[in-house]
Amino acid sequence: MENVNAGDTAWLLASAALVMLMTPALGFFYGGLVRRKNVLATIMHSFFILCLISVQWVLWGYSLAFGPDHGGLIGGLDWLALRGVGQEPNPDYAATVPAQAFMVFQMMFAVITPALITGAFAERKRFKAFVVFTLLWATLVYDPVAHWVWGVGGWLRTLGALDFAGGTVVHLTSGVSALVAALVLGRRKGLGSEPIEPHDATMTVLGASLLWFGWFGFNAGSALTSGGLAASAFVVTNTAAAMAALTWMTVSWLHKGAPSVLGASAGAVAGLVAITPASGYVDVSAAIVIGLGAGTICYAGIQLTKRLRVDDALDVFGVHGVGGAWGALATGLFASSAVNAAAANGFVYGNPAQLGIQLVAVGAVIAYAAIVTFVILKVINLFVGLRVPEQDEVLGLDATQHREAAYTI
Amino acid sequence: MEFLAFGSFAILVVAWLVAPSKGEVVAIEERRKAA
Repeated sequence: MENVNAGDTAWLLASAALVMLMTPALGFFYGGLVRRKNVLATIMHSFFILCLISVQWVLWGYSLAFGPDHGGLIGGLDWLALRGVGQEPNPDYAATVPAQAFMVFQMMFAVITPALITGAFAERKRFKAFVVFTLLWATLVYDPVAHWVWGVGGWLRTLGALDFAGGTVVHLTSGVSALVAALVLGRRKGLGSEPIEPHDATMTVLGASLLWFGWFGFNAGSALTSGGLAASAFVVTNTAAAMAALTWMTVSWLHKGAPSVLGASAGAVAGLVAITPASGYVDVSAAIVIGLGAGTICYAGIQLTKRLRVDDALDVFGVHGVGGAWGALATGLFASSAVNAAAANGFVYGNPAQLGIQLVAVGAVIAYAAIVTFVILKVINLFVGLRVPEQDEVLGLDATQHREAAYTI
Repeated sequence: MEFLAFGSFAILVVAWLVAPSKGEVVAIEERRKAA
């Protein structure tokens, strides 16, 4: 145990707790955006996933993602039920913290990723279908892609793809899968013919604020040490979130004539998404540019999906898919070895090849996530049925799926 | 990069100065009454 560093371990465990908070925070962020008849069901999606993936991860998810490599594609089953994952560090991943601390930090990433998708199928998905989808998606999409990018021997890691905290692994996978889910499930009943409004904007702002708070663990924790790199990641994370919130609010102001509170909240999340892959590689000036890009491009992405009449109910693709892709490519533009000596420079620092590698990573992750998600949804639809019956959708999912009501006054 | 960063922020400041005030105040009030 002489290799364990107390400061690094304390920071990583605290970061794991911060990232854990993000999933219920996401529940509040999404919960405020749906109608009051669906708020419990929406929050339940996030809370249930916290429980489900916590168990899946220790049983087989961690082994598939980080276990000994098989062909660059998937980890082995050697670490099932955390066999061999103990209090000693694993120098392949984090040399100064117990292997279990690294495992539980990564668990919280595996938890929040499928929870992000739930915003796309909000207000119409059958709970049973959601349960099966989450378990299959975590196993067949998240775990392999995490191995590709972060696992020792993973093919994208070997290629040199940079993803500090999950721009491709977390946000691109979930954002693309959300778009596929929205297309396969179809539009909500009444959309376009009756008002479908957020029932509690204050809940959404609270959720966004807690997400921002937790994101410091997400990004600065990904340094895996409590030194200068963590501090740098912390600063650029805050800067990009703030800049994207300002930008989104401004763009929506120019577009619709008023500075939207919900827009500022969504913008902050978009900025946090975009800085995620870059947070360990870029300086604060790049963070400002990344935030400006996130606020603009993600807003445009959402307008486009609405124009195409895709009912991505809570704009998961626009924020996480578009933001994740922008962040991954921006990493290829702005990465600097002056920030992180272990990383390659990006395009603006004389290494255009890095942008090409990032493009390969983005393309591969989009294709894989889209195809596997489509197959999973079609199979579930065949055996379980994806959507609730029409009359249940009218009554609301709180009553029909959970036999509960969020508000009694 | 510093030039880009200052320029990005300056764009926002100018936008706040020229941003219009319009919208659906009446529609929001009507929705509140209907609720």
